[in-house]
Amino acid sequence: MSANKITGGKTIDIVKNLPRINLANLRPNPGATKNETHRGHGMHGGNKSGRGHKGERQRGNRPRLGFEGGQTPFYLVIPKYGYNANHSRRPQYPPFSLRKLQYLIDLGRIDTTQPIDLTQLVNSRGVAIQPLKRDYGIQLVDEGADIFCAKVNLEVQVASEKAIAAIERNGGVITTSFYDPRSLQVLIKPVPFFISGQPIPKRMLPGEDLLPYYTDANHRGYLADQDQVQAARLALAKKYGYSLPDITKDELFDMLAQRKDPRQIFFGLSPGWVVNMEDKKILKPTDEKVLQYYGS
Amino acid sequence: MSLKRLSWHGSPRSSNMAASILSRRTAVLFDITKLNSQINFLPAVVQQIANYNPRPLWLNIKNPYIPDKSNEKTPDWQKTDKYDRKRFGRYGQASGVDPAQLWPSHAQLEEMIGEEREWHPPLQVMLGNIAAKEKERTAKRMEREKIIAANMAKMPKMIADWKKQKQETKQKQKEEKVKRERLLAEATERFGHAVDPRSAKFKEMVAEIEKEEKKKRKLLKRKKREDDAGLSPAAAESSQ
Repeated sequence: MSANKITGGKTIDIVKNLPRINLANLRPNPGATKNETHRGHGMHGGNKSGRGHKGERQRGNRPRLGFEGGQTPFYLVIPKYGYNANHSRRPQYPPFSLRKLQYLIDLGRIDTTQPIDLTQLVNSRGVAIQPLKRDYGIQLVDEGADIFCAKVNLEVQVASEKAIAAIERNGGVITTSFYDPRSLQVLIKPVPFFISGQPIPKRMLPGEDLLPYYTDANHRGYLADQDQVQAARLALAKKYGYSLPDITKDELFDMLAQRKDPRQIFFGLSPGWVVNMEDKKILKPTDEKVLQYYGS
Repeated sequence: MSLKRLSWHGSPRSSNMAASILSRRTAVLFDITKLNSQINFLPAVVQQIANYNPRPLWLNIKNPYIPDKSNEKTPDWQKTDKYDRKRFGRYGQASGVDPAQLWPSHAQLEEMIGEEREWHPPLQVMLGNIAAKEKERTAKRMEREKIIAANMAKMPKMIADWKKQKQETKQKQKEEKVKRERLLAEATERFGHAVDPRSAKFKEMVAEIEKEEKKKRKLLKRKKREDDAGLSPAAAESSQ
């Protein structure tokens, strides 16, 4: 189409004066759509109405898609391989963004004057963890790293480098720690656990697969050497180009320095203690062997 | 969740801490006064509070159910340790459970310790295992890389040899071709018409030619020897 053929000005002037595009002005290209064949009303759309003759087909009782009359169906015969192999045995870490954390802090659902743990996050309904679905905790994701501006003592299970940088830039402290499934269940729902009357279990160490992650200072692992962690903090500050604030001069330094023992699940509660909600008492064992077991 | 007394000052995303007053249930466990003292240094004006309404626990029952252990009508599951612990957790001392029962007995402890020893090795052992595995892996890799490096060092020579081989075979083929053509030409000359190289005649002819060539070569050799012999006594005489 040449604009020259149109009398007067260019095509653009014509198009500008045309009405706005809306559904009334549009139609598909010829041949794009084809009318669906469906049962007509009577005559050759009637009689059996395209359903066939007797059997499951006419009576609408066909088995589910994929069923092969009892023979192991194709989708079950082929084993899972590679990406999907052993998927149900892999630990999962639902992502938790810095943006969500900032949101929770801003709304006052999380108290930043106390260490922030998975318990606090679950209490504030910020995350939903399903330990029975192979969730081993949360991973801190760096979405919202640019708007994050809170000083927190945070404990997660996995954290990305940028997220660590975002937290430390604001003068906070972040630790990655491991909770075995039983400890995780206790951690996220402490009150139902206390009501069950069991002594607080001791946290198990990570297996050989995850141990290298939690002994690495770059991941701020809870089993890593503290000097290495300090060096890593400085290195990260250099890498991302911010000046690392000195938390020792902070008012909340004691709170920020609080970290759990590798065997501890709750701050202030040791393994082996029984917390009673009704009497509002904590019972501690006195037997030597029991103490030795829970103290090891 | 209800938001009480929300007072926004400046940007809501200021670095001031947001204080959250804990719910009634958990407030009893935590010491509120300690919290407040920590918050005192904050400007009192900014106070954002979120209250949670947790599900009530329904724990305050005056007459807890205490199963009769001696009675055979009580179900078995009410006579277990686990149920006793649950009763203690729900009713506290009013349940009549001896708190010493809450912890595992010595026998159970032994079991637990044995299990842990088997399935949960200590940190140092695990680190040792990891180090050993890493060492093995690197050793294997180094071995493989050594072999590769040695083979790569041999490569230039092998390539040169292969090239030479190729050249030689090519040369041979060329010579063969030339020879065959020559013989064919001879044969056509001799017999006057094109001869099939596979026929008997051709082969006889070839044999004859070879014999003649051999004779020639022998004659040449003898001549050469005589010449040499002749030359050398002559040379010996002349040198004297």
